[in-house]
Amino acid sequence: MRWSARTVLYVLLAVVACAWATPFLWMVSTSLTPDVPVANSASDGAGSADLSRGVEFLPDLGADGPLDYAARLADQARTNYGAVLASDSADFPRYYRNSLVVAFLSAGLMTLSSAVVAYGFARVTWRGRDAAFAVVLGTMMVPFTVLMAPQYLLFERLGLIGGLLPLWLPSAFGGAFSIFLLRQFFLGLPRALDEAALVDGCGHLGIFARVILPNSVPALAAVFLLQFVAAWNDFVGPLVFLNHQEDYTLALGLQMYQSQNSGTQWNLLMAAVILTILPVLLVFALFQRAFTESVTTRGVKG
Amino acid sequence: MPDGPHARPTLGPTRRALAIGGAAAALGYAIFPPSPRWRRDVPTGRVALRYWEKWASHEGDAIQSVVDRFNASQDRIFVVRVPVPETFTKAMVAIGGGDPPDLVGLFSYNVPYFAESGALIPLDELPEPRRPVREEAYPRAIWELLTHGGRPWVGVNTCYTLALYANRAHLREAGLDDGNLPRTLDELDAAAVRLDVRDTGGRIARAGFLQAVPSWWPYLWPIATGGRLFDDAAHRVTCDEERSVAAFRWVSATAERLGRADSLGFAKSFERSYLSRTDPFLSGRVSMIVQGPWMANFARRFAPGLDFAAAPMPVAADVLDPQSPRGLLEADVIGIPRGCPHPEEALEFLAFTQRPDVQADLCSQHCKPSPMNEVPEGFRENHPNPFVAVHEAIVRSPNATVLPRHRAWKAYSDTIVPAFDRIWGGADPKSELEAVARRAQAEVDRADAARRAREERA
Amino acid sequence: MRRDGARVGLLFTAPFWIGFALFTAVPVGLSLYYGTTDYDLVEAPLPIGLANFGEMAGDAVFWTALRNTLVFAACSVALNTVVALALALLLEQRLRGREFVRALVFAPTLVPISAVAVGWLWLFHRDEGLINAGLRIVGVQGPDWLGDARWALWSLVGMSAWVVGAQVLVYTAALRDVPRSLVEAAAIDGANARQRLLRVVLPQISPAVAFNVLVSIIWALQVFALPLIMTRGGPQNTTLVYSMYVWQNAFQYGRMGYASALAWVQFAVTCALTAAAVALARKRVYARGATAR
Repeated sequence: MRWSARTVLYVLLAVVACAWATPFLWMVSTSLTPDVPVANSASDGAGSADLSRGVEFLPDLGADGPLDYAARLADQARTNYGAVLASDSADFPRYYRNSLVVAFLSAGLMTLSSAVVAYGFARVTWRGRDAAFAVVLGTMMVPFTVLMAPQYLLFERLGLIGGLLPLWLPSAFGGAFSIFLLRQFFLGLPRALDEAALVDGCGHLGIFARVILPNSVPALAAVFLLQFVAAWNDFVGPLVFLNHQEDYTLALGLQMYQSQNSGTQWNLLMAAVILTILPVLLVFALFQRAFTESVTTRGVKG
Repeated sequence: MPDGPHARPTLGPTRRALAIGGAAAALGYAIFPPSPRWRRDVPTGRVALRYWEKWASHEGDAIQSVVDRFNASQDRIFVVRVPVPETFTKAMVAIGGGDPPDLVGLFSYNVPYFAESGALIPLDELPEPRRPVREEAYPRAIWELLTHGGRPWVGVNTCYTLALYANRAHLREAGLDDGNLPRTLDELDAAAVRLDVRDTGGRIARAGFLQAVPSWWPYLWPIATGGRLFDDAAHRVTCDEERSVAAFRWVSATAERLGRADSLGFAKSFERSYLSRTDPFLSGRVSMIVQGPWMANFARRFAPGLDFAAAPMPVAADVLDPQSPRGLLEADVIGIPRGCPHPEEALEFLAFTQRPDVQADLCSQHCKPSPMNEVPEGFRENHPNPFVAVHEAIVRSPNATVLPRHRAWKAYSDTIVPAFDRIWGGADPKSELEAVARRAQAEVDRADAARRAREERA
Repeated sequence: MRRDGARVGLLFTAPFWIGFALFTAVPVGLSLYYGTTDYDLVEAPLPIGLANFGEMAGDAVFWTALRNTLVFAACSVALNTVVALALALLLEQRLRGREFVRALVFAPTLVPISAVAVGWLWLFHRDEGLINAGLRIVGVQGPDWLGDARWALWSLVGMSAWVVGAQVLVYTAALRDVPRSLVEAAAIDGANARQRLLRVVLPQISPAVAFNVLVSIIWALQVFALPLIMTRGGPQNTTLVYSMYVWQNAFQYGRMGYASALAWVQFAVTCALTAAAVALARKRVYARGATAR
């Protein structure tokens, strides 16, 4: 490639990197900023108060020397993040736990049930299968607005309102996206594997458990991760199904924390945002490979 | 047959990553508290009541002090305050789902909707002497806010009226009388013009007064011209009557004077800074503002040096009655949801909050006037809001206005919000308000028809 | 190939059907029933026939919400598709650090949308936000992105492009599946880079594009959390999207019946647009699927 073309590409890459990294950095930076001092311009006549802020990624902490700065930064972090965690209007530690419970149960159940169902669509041949699968895909089109109230009332009838259960129970019955993804994967596994198992006297259950599952670990992991993230991030479900603050998940708790403050303290709000997104980003860093694989597998072959 | 991404060697998560992830999750689960914070505080043997209330920060601390007082006053019941923003939305869903809290704090304008749906337990079911909410305890307008269809549904939990707050330093600097705030709209306009400051580019740097700040009560202004929003007796939407339209013509004239687009941008820029250090009034960017009594609290917190005064909201000269000031009166209220776990105990707490001394304590912490007829000695003298008398006069004034007592009010008010902005942008007030009235009247009629149909069925 | 009875097939897929009946079919039916009633969640539903559907025709806010949603869907899907394709192409070039950038671009899709919304609220802030602070450096006074009726919806469309990471990865995978031999043959035939992209690469990945556009349309028609958190539908209803109007009616105005009717119309619109998109894709998409199966 010509030298100038490469330069252009590198510049583009740098621009993209900046565009995506800057918002994160700005949020982190804001979350480490001290409260603006109470004394302000209220009484100085002309109202010329310049409230606009410059672009400063390193909060001004009035430190001398880098070591002192680091110490003050750590101090500020303790103050701001501590204030959020101990907040009276939002119980963040509790929300962490709820998010963990919901995400794990939801992802685990979703993976298991979707695998069974996907097997039925991929490796069992039956009349009407394609039409049935079209129904599965069709459920993706139903807007949540149609479902939210009746589902809520259904859970009420079943006496299941008042806890986290409505958030993960539906996952136990598979989801269109996961079934679709796993079906694609199962279709791609060589039929010869089944034949061998059949010869050994295995039924469908045996094939599923002994042949398909062990050969599908990457796809299962992908479904698990995607559902984990989806459940962790779900906003509408908790908004509709959770009545009590103690049951909130992080995604919803953050919103409650935000709307509590009419005069927004942006530094604390950003600390809350960072606390909300950090766990998922850490999981991402840990499983980056599996994540990227999972999304690339999803739905390419339509 | 296998092709594409599946064929490539796919690396699942490594064992190490799995181990780390699992360990982190287990650790998290272990660290994070297994029981909700509030349950940990409940002493054993007491009935725990959940009380949803909207207040946060120091206003939350104030209601907490009431809760603490109640909890200390007896040893059977323990009330736990849960801060919940937008209680009315959440409460309706929770009541519909049969999973409500024991007590819920609402706005007085929610009462008709909650009462008609049967979402609250009416408070007149007990024999007379034990009733916690009794007419003789409250000023007339407050009693009106607690009742619907002739029955009391909620107890009062502070009230507020809106008044004009002015920055006295600004007034002096503009050569205006800082002891007498404007009482009529003409005086207000005249003062506002002298207080406006523009920057070198001609944009507003400081505004004397504009109805778009704060944006919370865009439906407030008909009060100033003797207009009204709703005919409670006839169930008729009246925001398009001449007197109401006149109010919005006045709004439009202010926008015209300040520059429609520039002033709207100026007003909108405060959307998330009200009652903070960047509040338009507290930061000195708006000299006069119609606000509630809490302004004194936030001034102490964010602008301790601010020299301000308050007076009843200015009105058109032909409706000015210095003895009976006009203004919007609203109350925060507390009710007991239908289907709550402990209605008896909840009633006990509700009765506690209706004690004049308790309300006085809470209101003075919130900087608000008292909603009770009986006010303990020293309430006015020791009140942290130096202008509490202004607010209190409106509470007791026959000219105090309350918001429409109809369940369609929320939908009605949400229609006024964009109409206000359009009028500010130059739309014709009369036709905008007629459109609002048509829509709101349809909502009202529909709700009334459904109610009649329900009653016929029952 | 061996055929199994439908019994075995249904047995394996049974979990889905149970869930489908409980959490989709019954709610969809109930929703249709509520759509013909006056209902507020607490009192029993009162049948009122088709009045709710009739009301929609004359409901200006309904039309506003529908228009806002269609505009948002059309613009954000178009923008996101272009951005995602461009990023995927860029990140397929052999450049140092591209893996890191790919991860960076993917990261926003992993975090709760409520967190993204709150973060961008701050970036969009008129006086203190990063965007306007940056613009001031180059001497431009930026508008109030979310408070100005002329900008608010476009600000939401613009920020939705920040969350295209998943689509980028899908396109990346599709690009990797384009046979090198095809591209090289085109090069030998004298096609320049632009022609190779338009005539060879894009047709090859068109199934992936079609699938993504379809999913994005379905998603965009339901957009809810972003405007709810960032603008609450304002200013002047310019960001009042359909799902939000449904939600307001259901939970704030106590009009669950009307909300259900609205939701059903949303369902119908989604189905119609999806069907149209599928029909269009059938005609236009380069049919590689046929050979791959």
